[in-house]
Amino acid sequence: MRRLRTRGRIRLAAALAAVICAAAAALTGCGSLDGTVPSCDDPLKLAIIAQSVSGASYVPCIGELPEGWSTSGFDPASGGTSFTLDSDRSPGRPVTVRLSAGCATGGASPSPPRAPGVLSYTRLTSISPRFAGTLYDVFPGGCVSYQFDFTLGEHIALMEQFQSAVGLYPVQQLRLVLKQKLGVEISP
Amino acid sequence: MTTVPTPGAGDPGPEVTPLIAAPLGGRRRRPSGEPPPLPRRVDHSTRWYLLLGAVAVALWGGMSVPLVLGAITQADLAVLHAVAALRSAWLTHVMRGFDAMSSPWVVRVVGWGTIAALVALRRFRHLAVYLIAFLAVGLLATIVAAGLGRMRPAGIQILGTWQGYAQPARPVAVLALVLVGAIYTLAPAGGWRNRAKWAAAVILGLVCASRLYLAVDHPTDQVTALILGWALAVVVFRMAVPNDVFPISYRGGRKAHLDIGGRRGEAIVRALDQQLGLHVTAVEPFGLESSAGSTPLRIDVHLRIQNDGQHATLFGKLYALNHLRSDRWYKLARTVLYGRLEDEKPFSTVRRLVEYEDHMLRLMRDAGLPTPRPYGFAEITPEREYLIVMEFFQDARELRNVPVDARVIDDALRVVRRMWDAGIAHRDLKPSNILLRNDSVLLIDVAFAAIRPTPWRQAVDLANMMLTLALASTPEVVYAQALRFFAAGDVAEAFAACKSITVPSQLRSLIRADGRDLIGRFRELAPARRPVPIQLWDLQRIRITVTLVVSLVLAVALFAAFVRVAGLL
Repeated sequence: MRRLRTRGRIRLAAALAAVICAAAAALTGCGSLDGTVPSCDDPLKLAIIAQSVSGASYVPCIGELPEGWSTSGFDPASGGTSFTLDSDRSPGRPVTVRLSAGCATGGASPSPPRAPGVLSYTRLTSISPRFAGTLYDVFPGGCVSYQFDFTLGEHIALMEQFQSAVGLYPVQQLRLVLKQKLGVEISP
Repeated sequence: MTTVPTPGAGDPGPEVTPLIAAPLGGRRRRPSGEPPPLPRRVDHSTRWYLLLGAVAVALWGGMSVPLVLGAITQADLAVLHAVAALRSAWLTHVMRGFDAMSSPWVVRVVGWGTIAALVALRRFRHLAVYLIAFLAVGLLATIVAAGLGRMRPAGIQILGTWQGYAQPARPVAVLALVLVGAIYTLAPAGGWRNRAKWAAAVILGLVCASRLYLAVDHPTDQVTALILGWALAVVVFRMAVPNDVFPISYRGGRKAHLDIGGRRGEAIVRALDQQLGLHVTAVEPFGLESSAGSTPLRIDVHLRIQNDGQHATLFGKLYALNHLRSDRWYKLARTVLYGRLEDEKPFSTVRRLVEYEDHMLRLMRDAGLPTPRPYGFAEITPEREYLIVMEFFQDARELRNVPVDARVIDDALRVVRRMWDAGIAHRDLKPSNILLRNDSVLLIDVAFAAIRPTPWRQAVDLANMMLTLALASTPEVVYAQALRFFAAGDVAEAFAACKSITVPSQLRSLIRADGRDLIGRFRELAPARRPVPIQLWDLQRIRITVTLVVSLVLAVALFAAFVRVAGLL
C-alpha cells in the first residue's frame, strides 16, 4: 500500500515537474539558453566565436554587465556571431552586436578606438527624437558592429554602458590559452 | 410516486452450474517476491539505452574539466584527421548532399508531419509524449550546450556550415528525435517498425558520416547527440506508450483492445489457472465491435474435477490502464458538458474498476437479476491489468436480432422493475447489452451499474429499455405493457428525462435508422410532464471546468515552448 502511495507521489511529482518546466520554458524563454553570451573570463567558450570568423584578430565578449542590462540571442555560426544586449531603460530596442568578416563603414565618422589595433567608427541615422545608428570596431580580419536605438536623453548613459559591457578579446591570446589548456590550434 | 404493486420475484433466468473447483494441487498462492503472471518488463535494449544515458552524463562531466576535455578533443581530432585524409572534390560534394538531410527544413517537415498525423489519427497520448520528449531533449541539449560551450573541431578545415556550440551535435540529436518520434508513434510494432528503424539508422549514419567528413562535429558530439535523440527518446516512448498497452494499428479496430497473443496470452492462461483454478484451453477475442471499455474475451476451459472431461465456455473482460484512463476522460467530459448527472467519480485504479464490476455482478445476482454469474477476477499485472471472468451466455442473441413478443416485453420490463426495487440502475441499457435466450431476457455489461442511483437515472433506464423494445415492436404495445409494472407517471418521468445524451449511442443510431419518432410517440402516450433538465451547475463542475481551461492554456504554452525549442518555426 505504501509502495503504491509512493509510486503515486513520484508520478505526481514527475507530472508537476514536467508542467513547471514547460510553463517556465514557455513563459521565461529558458528554451533559448544559448542566449548566454560568453564572458571575457571564459576563453574556452570564446573559441567558437573566433571560429565563426576565422582570421578575426578580436572577438566580442561580455566584460561586466551594468545593472539593468542582460544578454540574449547568442548565435555563433559559420560566417559570423551575433547577440543582443537588452536594457530595462530601452525596452524592446536592444543593441544588436554582430561579429563579421568585414563592415561597410562608408559615411561613418571615426570615434576613439576601443582597443589597440582597432579603428572605431560611428554612423548615426537619427539624433532626435531617437538616438539611433551603428558603432563599428574594425580590426584585421573582422569587424564588430553595434546597432543601437535609444531615447534621446537616456542615450548618453546607455551608450557608455553598452560599450563598457562588451569587451574585445584578442584572438592571439585566445590561441595561447587553447594551446595551453586543450592542446589545439584554432585555425588550420 | 409508484402506485403499481411490485410483481413477484419470478425467475431471474437460467441458473448456472457452479464451475469453479480447486485443481488437484489446489489453487496456487503466489509467494512473496515471485513475479506476477505478466510482470512489467524492461527489456535488454532499454537497459542498454539507459546505460548509454549514463555514458553521456559521464562524457559531459569529463568535458567540464579542461584536462579531460583536452584528452577527448585530441582523440576526436585524431579521428577527424583520419577521415579528412579521404577528402576529395567529388566526395565533398556528395557529403554536403547527405548533410542537407539534417537541415532544419527536413526536421520541420518530419516534425510537423508527425504532429499532423497524430492529430488526424487522434492519438493524443502519443502526441503528448512526442511533444514532451521533444521538449525535454531540446531543453537538455540546450542546457548542456550552454554549460559546456564546446568549440567546433580545431586545427582542421571545416567544410560545412554550422550553428551554435558543438556539444551535443544538435542537428543530429533533433533529426534522430523526429525519426524516432515518427517511428514510435506511427509505425506498427513488428516488421514495419523494424524496417523503419533500419531506414532511420541508415539516414542517421549518412548524416553523421558526412558531418565528420566535413569536420562540422567531433565524434563525441555525435555520440551524445545520438544518445539524447535516439536512445533516451526510445526509452521515453517505451515507458510512456508501451506497445502492449497502446498498440499502433491501422486495421480499423478499436484502440481499447489489447493484443492477447504472446506473453500476455500466456500470462492470462497461467493467471486463470493459478488464481481461479481454471484450466484454460483457448482464449480468443469476442464481440470486439460492441465493446470500447475493455477487451472482451471468450475463454474455453476444461472442467477438471466435477465434470471431468467436459468443456465449458466463460466470458472475460481484460481491463488495463488505457481503459481506466478512457473511463476518466469520459466522465470528465460528461461532467464539464452536463454537470454531475449522477455519481460519476472516476475509478482510481484498474483494480478498483474490476473489483467494482465483480461486486456489481454478485449484487445483481443476489437481487435476482438475470446477469452473468461472476467467477472472480485474476491479476495479470498488479495495478495495471486484470481479467474479470463471468458466465458466458451460450446461445443467447441480442434483442435486436430476434422477434419480440408480448412475453419478452413483459420479461424485459419486469427486469427494469426489479432493478428499481433493488435500488440499482444499469446505466447502459441498449440492444447489445440486452440478450434473449429461451424467451428470457438477460442483461450483460454491468460495469456502469450503480447502487442507489438518482431517480433521474432510474427513469432513464426505463426509457432506454422501452425504446429498445419499441424498435422491435411498437411504442403502443410497449407502453401498454409498461403500465403493468410502472405507473403512467413513471413512464412520463422516463421520457421527460430522455434526451439525446441519455440514450446510448448504439440505441440512438438504431432509432435514427428506424425512422419512427419513438421518443415523441411515447411522450404522446404518457401523461404530459415538463422535461427534466440535465444541465446542472455546481461548484464541482465549475472547479473542473476552470482546471481544464487552465490545463489547456498550459498545454498551449507547452506546445509553444516545444515549437521554440525544437526549432520547428
